Amino acid sequence: MLHLLKIEWLKIKYYRTFWVLSALFTLSLYGVNEIVYTVQHNAFTNQPATQMIIGTPPFQFPEVWHTVSYISSYLLFFPGLIIIILMTNEFSYKTHRQNIIDGLSRTQFIYVKMTLCVLIALVSALIVFLVALFFGIYENNAGFSVENIQYIGMFFIQTLSYTSVALVIATLFRRSGIAIGVYFLYAEVLDQLLSLAGNYYFNNAGRYFPLESNDNLIPFPLFKSAKDRIVEPANVTYMLITVTIYLAIYFFVCKRKMETADL
Amino acid sequence: MVLFAAVIISFLLHCFGLSFHKIIFYVNVLSIQNLSKNYGVIQALRNVSFEVPEGSVFGILGPNGSGKTTLLGIVLDILKATSGQVFFNGQIPTYEMRKHIGTLLETPNFYHYLSAERNLAIAAEIKGKGKEHIDTVLQQVNLYERKKSSFSTYSLGMKQRLAIASALLGNPDVLIFDEPTNGLDPVGIAEIRDLIRRLAATGRTIIMASHLLDEVEKVCTHVAILKNGNLLTAGAVDDVLQTEDIAEVGAIDMQALAYTLQSMNSYSSMIKNENVIQLKYPTGTANLEAINQYCFNHGIVLNHLQLKKKSLETKFLELTN
Repeated sequence: MLHLLKIEWLKIKYYRTFWVLSALFTLSLYGVNEIVYTVQHNAFTNQPATQMIIGTPPFQFPEVWHTVSYISSYLLFFPGLIIIILMTNEFSYKTHRQNIIDGLSRTQFIYVKMTLCVLIALVSALIVFLVALFFGIYENNAGFSVENIQYIGMFFIQTLSYTSVALVIATLFRRSGIAIGVYFLYAEVLDQLLSLAGNYYFNNAGRYFPLESNDNLIPFPLFKSAKDRIVEPANVTYMLITVTIYLAIYFFVCKRKMETADL
Repeated sequence: MVLFAAVIISFLLHCFGLSFHKIIFYVNVLSIQNLSKNYGVIQALRNVSFEVPEGSVFGILGPNGSGKTTLLGIVLDILKATSGQVFFNGQIPTYEMRKHIGTLLETPNFYHYLSAERNLAIAAEIKGKGKEHIDTVLQQVNLYERKKSSFSTYSLGMKQRLAIASALLGNPDVLIFDEPTNGLDPVGIAEIRDLIRRLAATGRTIIMASHLLDEVEKVCTHVAILKNGNLLTAGAVDDVLQTEDIAEVGAIDMQALAYTLQSMNSYSSMIKNENVIQLKYPTGTANLEAINQYCFNHGIVLNHLQLKKKSLETKFLELTN
């Protein structure tokens, strides 16, 4: 596997688009949290009463792990976009053919891309961890706590789901334009729409739809007590099981497609 | 003593109609067996079978769309055959075997944003060959000076050269070239042909698909001809593309000439045109002097006598039409 990863590294190492996008993504992860932080900070300063409604200050330990994970999850689509670019590049340059001609097996080719999905999700989660740590310490450096840190793990699983969906779409559609279009429409609209329909017709089953089950891993952090009374909270264990099943399906589809199709 | 024994054994085997050479050394590098490939209703290959002997320069010849690239794509596991089987050295192909085959298939496929050098570093890493070969192969195709430029700045000919350089990485014993001189200028074409001849001289097996007859005639030892996915013929170039000599004769009285020539029986066939008569001979056997003498002896004075070599092109058109 190290040999295969080294090959991927040689492809990425001097790919400027990848590094520029990654830098912007990192900046945006900080930026989106900074926006929310500023807004709530101003609200608390100007209207101390809001504190009463919202509850614990969201950027203090241990709440910060949950808050930052949730806010960051609005940028979840981005690592998937990077995967689509990397994968469709191979198809448009026909280097997927050349790699196999030169001596990779079809299976190795797709396995290393799956590994890339995991690695990109890991790095994203690491960045979110650092951002949360930064805000936590900035807000109140005395009370460091790892309680709630599981939300960083949830963020990893969410990102992995998005990168995997992206890999499936890139593998099936091959062309970057259509793959990006389908990915965004699916991730932002279609999955939600299907999930709404599922919720309506099948007794909340919609939350177990591919990306929806994933999105529910990190619930909205504020108004906890009020919210729980309105909607029955999703069962995290079931959600995790569902997500795992979907991940397995995504990887199986990619593997099958790469191993049997004419390239 | 050992040599003596080998000669004796070889002789004995020969007596039984077997060749020592064939039993011990004769290996088919590539064996294609009953290969078919359908793209929906279109049949790109129909039951194609042939063998590529070790050390040959094997040309796969055919017009555009005859299935050459499809055939090589299946050999390299880029395409899946509908039916049939491919063997490398008598074994079912694996990806490990492909690491020892240098290939240029259809178009040069490289990462546009990387330089020549870095693209070759990826190929070398996949093949498990060291980077020390990169400069050597770039020099072989005259790209060494431009090795730092990104692939997207290359001209078509330079891209083609880079693809050939990539195929040469790690000195593979078998080389597969699909239209190797595509997009090259005349000097480039001559250089690549020269390179292929030099490679062949070192005993490497070279499989080359081409629609350029000239190319095949100049460098190949064996040839397979494809048309519409059918294998028309395969074998040694001299057997397959056997050419013939044509003697053209003419006289004022064409009828008398034809009558006289009918009694002369050294040629294999005769075609009567309006102004000339064409006599066909097996290659190298046409004797103009004898024809002239014969006609003169029978009272006919020729006003036209010319030897024409039948071109490979005519032969190819004949085979594929």
